[in-house]
Amino acid sequence: MLLRVLGSLLLIEGLFMLVPMLACLAYGEADWRAFGITAGGTALTGWMLKRLLPVASTHFGKRESYLLTGSVWVVFSFFGMIPFIISSAGMDVSDAFFEAMSGFTTTGATCRPADAPPLAHGIMMWQAMMQWLGGMGIILFTLAVIPTLNSSGGMQMFNAEVPGITHEKIMPRISQTAISLWSIYAGFTLILTILLLLGPMDLFDSVCHAFGTMSTGGFSSNSGGIAAYHSDYVTILVTVFMLLGGIDFALIFTVIMGRWERARRNEVVKWFVFTILLFWLLFDVGIWMTSASTDWRSYTIEPAFQVVSTITSTGYTYGNISTWGPLVLALTFLMMFSGGCAGSTSGGAKFDRLLYAFKRIGNEVNRCIHPNAIYSVRINGRIANPDLVAKVVLFLGIYVLLIAGGGVLLSAMGCPTVDSFFSSFACLSNTGFGASVTGYGDDFASIPDMAKWVLAALMLIGRLEIFTILVLFAPAFWRK
Amino acid sequence: MKIVIAGAGEVGSHLARLLSNEEQDIIVIDDDTDKLAPLDANFNLMTISGKATSFNCLREARVGTADLFIAVTPYESTNIVACGIAKSFGTKCTVARVSHYGFMDPQNGPIMKRMGVDRLIYPEYLAAKEIITSLEHSWARSWFELHEGQIILLGVRLNADAPLAGMELRELSQHPWGFHISAIRRNHETIIPRGDDKIEAGDILYITTTPDRVNTLVQVCGKDDRRIRKVLIMGGSKIAIRLTDMAGSRFRFTIIDSDREVCRRLPVKCPDAAVIYGDARDPEVLIEAGAAEADAFIALSPSSESNILTTLTAKELGIPKSVAEVEDIQFIPQAEALGINTVINKKLLASSTIFQLLLDADSSTSKCLALADAEVAELEVRPNAKITRAAVKDLHLDRNMTLAGLIRDGQGMLITGNTVIRPGDRVLLFCLSGSLHKLERLFS
Repeated sequence: MLLRVLGSLLLIEGLFMLVPMLACLAYGEADWRAFGITAGGTALTGWMLKRLLPVASTHFGKRESYLLTGSVWVVFSFFGMIPFIISSAGMDVSDAFFEAMSGFTTTGATCRPADAPPLAHGIMMWQAMMQWLGGMGIILFTLAVIPTLNSSGGMQMFNAEVPGITHEKIMPRISQTAISLWSIYAGFTLILTILLLLGPMDLFDSVCHAFGTMSTGGFSSNSGGIAAYHSDYVTILVTVFMLLGGIDFALIFTVIMGRWERARRNEVVKWFVFTILLFWLLFDVGIWMTSASTDWRSYTIEPAFQVVSTITSTGYTYGNISTWGPLVLALTFLMMFSGGCAGSTSGGAKFDRLLYAFKRIGNEVNRCIHPNAIYSVRINGRIANPDLVAKVVLFLGIYVLLIAGGGVLLSAMGCPTVDSFFSSFACLSNTGFGASVTGYGDDFASIPDMAKWVLAALMLIGRLEIFTILVLFAPAFWRK
Repeated sequence: MKIVIAGAGEVGSHLARLLSNEEQDIIVIDDDTDKLAPLDANFNLMTISGKATSFNCLREARVGTADLFIAVTPYESTNIVACGIAKSFGTKCTVARVSHYGFMDPQNGPIMKRMGVDRLIYPEYLAAKEIITSLEHSWARSWFELHEGQIILLGVRLNADAPLAGMELRELSQHPWGFHISAIRRNHETIIPRGDDKIEAGDILYITTTPDRVNTLVQVCGKDDRRIRKVLIMGGSKIAIRLTDMAGSRFRFTIIDSDREVCRRLPVKCPDAAVIYGDARDPEVLIEAGAAEADAFIALSPSSESNILTTLTAKELGIPKSVAEVEDIQFIPQAEALGINTVINKKLLASSTIFQLLLDADSSTSKCLALADAEVAELEVRPNAKITRAAVKDLHLDRNMTLAGLIRDGQGMLITGNTVIRPGDRVLLFCLSGSLHKLERLFS
């Protein structure tokens, strides 16, 4: 049963690979063969899994859901890396897997050196496509299109994949929820593409940037990034849509459906926007202190773009960020940790969790003064279950431990210590800044192959929010 | 179809689970988030935490667009008020669970209608009805009459010495017995049997037949149709009161209760029944109450465990027919395995009745019964339906379903492989849980 569903998922992946193939054909590139072969191979494997295997059991419980969700992301990356190996990109397996995982988890990190020649259009399209698919979620997409998953098993896969503390359903049935979320996502992507087309970008760049922005993956088909367009229109547009990508899509759905009262009650988004404004101001202070400013843009548009790009874990950089000084860098760390709202396409530990933790800290401080008072964490007008708050705090603890663990592992493999910790952090939070941002080290290109696998694992753990992957390593999971 | 269920208690949860497997849009409302959490995490439905009578909450669930609103909170007044609000919002059909007979009284129907309650569920009434049916047909475990008794569907446990035991299903066609074995329940599992399946002693058979064949059926199952007269009841519960009231003078009831206050009040409500003060769990008390000449023992105390165990004692004392109320759903398979003839569960009765309402609302022509993990539906065949195209044996029907009987021009008849179904027939069919929604394609 598990393999059958996996088979249907691979069929879908094969279908999506046809898009970069078309791009290749349109630009007359030879890589279309690579995509054709991969798409065919993926679809064939999917078909064989789906049709030729006998069904041992139709049971689909919690274990199967976790296992499937975890393995889908890995298997997708394995098939997704093939074009990088056999096409003109010519990567080795470690690089290609890193690249594919970085795409699907919307990390957007690349192990290609910054001065490498630009990739073929088809390859770039595939990179953008992977981010777009991974942004809203592979499982969620499948739930929207495969009716057999419209059951409690699909329900649990939804819980295992969608980031957030509690998973709010916006429609009674899981497939309706998936369809609504995906249509908003696809709709925004379409609008952004059209708006970008009106600017200086051509169709290809518009699509790629729309994919990279909405998924908060941060892929750019231009090696100079967004800054290369020298267009305030593009910068502002991308900033706005990155922000949308960092907000809970369920909330956006209720607003679109005209139910404003839910949005008015939502304090997470209020705090999120407030935090962004605050960091904008602090960035200005940092820039002013280092006197790195060149014109009015470096106080307004550029820091705003950078703040939103970082907090939503998009990871677009605006050229000269490393010259903005130590304060900006420190603030960047904080924002990478936070990430966007739960239920969005962004990464990080999620803003909601921080809000829970801060409210809890406030309660503890108050308790020092009034030991007998009853305090509760109230989010969006509702009192959160203490167990949930404990789980959130625990999550943040594990998150920090994982960053540290990844850092130590990378250091052991010979990377410079600061870069190790920073890379581990950037991958777990799916931001995908290269260590060059810190101004200390190089891009991901320079790290050893083993370290790339470690970072790819961290990306996956970060995308699926730790427990989905962690549970697969629990002995109790495999014991019958 | 959109269904809003208010109250995530046992009936509400059971219904929600059942309906979400049938691909309906379910929203469950309850003010206890702990009750909602397991439903939300494990089933394909949506939950809203809030009171069933809260306007905001019902607005959030958008009950105005719902086809069915089911209020099954523990309080009847809450249920009725919630239904009233939902109806005013525009729900098509509302159902409320009540715990008082006055609401069910037909003369009060229009009043309830005005209050916005379309249907009422009174589990004690359903339980009493179920018990009376099982007493009237004491050899069967369950008994359903469809279409004014033209077709009878019954469940019976096969005795070891029954002529049927050990036969393969295809051998049946050589005998002119005239019944259709529609489902077999064996080791807690329901099977839709095929020609090469063998009937074993101890199986519970679900058989479809016509009224004139019932007598042969009693014989081939190795049973004797015993007329029940004297009935012992343990526990003077609401079901007991309803039962004595509805059964009239058909049976002679003796109610045993261990609460002196209850015993004092019982004669007021059940004037025809004898009341004994004592603990029915004590065999001495049972013998004194007349166990020797009793034909049936019904255990209706609040404790499922006591009911199951006391019923076993009653069986040892030689009372042939036993009925036990088992409210803990987990115990039901065990109770059946222990040889208790009929198990009563108010929650299952309530949910299967509501399920039936749902199908009524879906297409005004179908009726349904929910067995343990199978469903029985009566569907009307529309013109040009897929099912009319060939004889039944050539239709290549799904393995999870079987056609049991049909009603044509008001006459009940059984379906064999050679039957060709015509438009306008009402077909009775069995299918395993979760596959009911697949049938619609066949019939329309």
